[in-house]
Amino acid sequence: MAIDRFLEPKASSWMANAGDNTDIAMSTRIRLARNLNDFKFPYAFTEDEALKVDKAISSVLLDRGEEVNQEFTHIDIHEVSSLHRELLVEKHLISPYLAAGIHAGSVLISKNEELSIMINEEDHLRIQSLQSGFHLQEAYKVANELDSLLEENLQYAFHEKFGYLTSCPTNTGTGMRASVMLHLPALTMSQQITRIIPAISRLGMVVRGIYGEGSEALGNVYQISNQLTLGKSEYEILQDLQNMTEQIIEQERRARQAIVDNSPLKLEDRIYRSLGILTYSRLLTTEEAAKCLSDVRLGIDLKLIENIDMSILNELMIFMQPAFLQHYSKKPLSPGERDIARAKLFRERLKEEHKINGDKEGEDSV
Amino acid sequence: MICNQCGERPASVLVKQKRNGQLTERHLCHVCAAENHNLNLAFEQDPLAIHQLLSNWFPVHSPSVNPVKKEVTVCPSCGFTFNNFLKLGKFGCATCYEAFESNLEEIFKRLHNGNKEHTGKIPAFYGSTLKIKKEIEELRKQLKISIEEEEFEEAAKLRDQVRELNKQLEGGADHGD
Repeated sequence: MAIDRFLEPKASSWMANAGDNTDIAMSTRIRLARNLNDFKFPYAFTEDEALKVDKAISSVLLDRGEEVNQEFTHIDIHEVSSLHRELLVEKHLISPYLAAGIHAGSVLISKNEELSIMINEEDHLRIQSLQSGFHLQEAYKVANELDSLLEENLQYAFHEKFGYLTSCPTNTGTGMRASVMLHLPALTMSQQITRIIPAISRLGMVVRGIYGEGSEALGNVYQISNQLTLGKSEYEILQDLQNMTEQIIEQERRARQAIVDNSPLKLEDRIYRSLGILTYSRLLTTEEAAKCLSDVRLGIDLKLIENIDMSILNELMIFMQPAFLQHYSKKPLSPGERDIARAKLFRERLKEEHKINGDKEGEDSV
Repeated sequence: MICNQCGERPASVLVKQKRNGQLTERHLCHVCAAENHNLNLAFEQDPLAIHQLLSNWFPVHSPSVNPVKKEVTVCPSCGFTFNNFLKLGKFGCATCYEAFESNLEEIFKRLHNGNKEHTGKIPAFYGSTLKIKKEIEELRKQLKISIEEEEFEEAAKLRDQVRELNKQLEGGADHGD
């Protein structure tokens, strides 16, 4: 099946770590919301319109994707099992809203999984561009190229004064949401994050945990994104977010240094305990796994742990989720059984890391 | 009662979830409830509960409570009323923006830190028509002035220019379809 390649527990390129600041910035995402002019929006359209919208957008992408060097796989959401939909959600390729399958809809995913286009989500069209590390301009460029290709072939709903028209008034204007995922263990430990979050929200941007609920950010992974979409150009929005993210990264670096200076032994102890838990435990809950992963990742960044790849945090936060665990185990798992499967996943993954890196030390060939 | 999710442990928590206006209720055990809550992937949450904000700003009066008959704004294309929009926090179609335009400025100003106009990307097609429309507007202003000043020769020229641009606009629309 066409969908199979996207369900492999293999890391997508945006989960890798490449470029500057990747010790703190994990990945970057740009989302553009668009609607077609001649159809009612998804909250009001008929199933017949939904099918027409899907067909109109899909055919442009499938026929002309190569003009922007993209090859897409088309996945009709109603033809996919609920477990497979969950897997796509856990991998950030579709939203829970699309997965719910309220209307006829689909997703087109590029070969490298850096672009996914959702059709008939809250808007007719949601272009999502994912990049590893901190690459706002690059991610926007890819999304914008595709957007320009689509607008040559489809007539978007656009208003002189209001810009791109979207279902939700919080997206009207540019229809763009840009976000950077940040690993902020030191700002969390020192509780400085609780002061940063409200300060940022006054500047038209928002910080929140991406995994977990409320104020608690699972794995100390936060997402900073623009809240304004009206009155600023795409360029200005990206520039503001760039500057703010750089400041947060700088503050995280200072907080890390403070911890290293003030309580090095405590920090080292915490990091190695967490590595021990991930390497040897037989039962791992989501919270414990996320906390330990964050510690281990910090240990890698601080060069305390040397034989584990830093992409481990990005990848395992995704692959330790319920649908992926059940997919590997090839059967439905109760929450208790998932804790067993999760522990097994970590043990095997860390053993693998050790083997690969052990070989490297032995000989340099291949 | 047995947990709806694992079907093993006794249910101890009632989880009520409202999503897209539909309320679901599930009886879960403490383990499943915790699992459900902790990994609720925030893929694309609305940054704020938009419909709540809207109904705070524009209290929705039900007809029975409000005896004064108010004129109801209805979108001619999708049938959404302004109250529909406030309750759901979403537009039904592109025409809603025009139907509710008189109220939107205030909403956008509150949602987007005082901003009410788009200054970003313009689709290529709209870009050219937008330019022509702005030119026509400018010519019409000049035309009015020249009529007031009784410069009829100038006015005739301007009128012809407006006609020419209007023709282009229609031609452009045909081309775009």
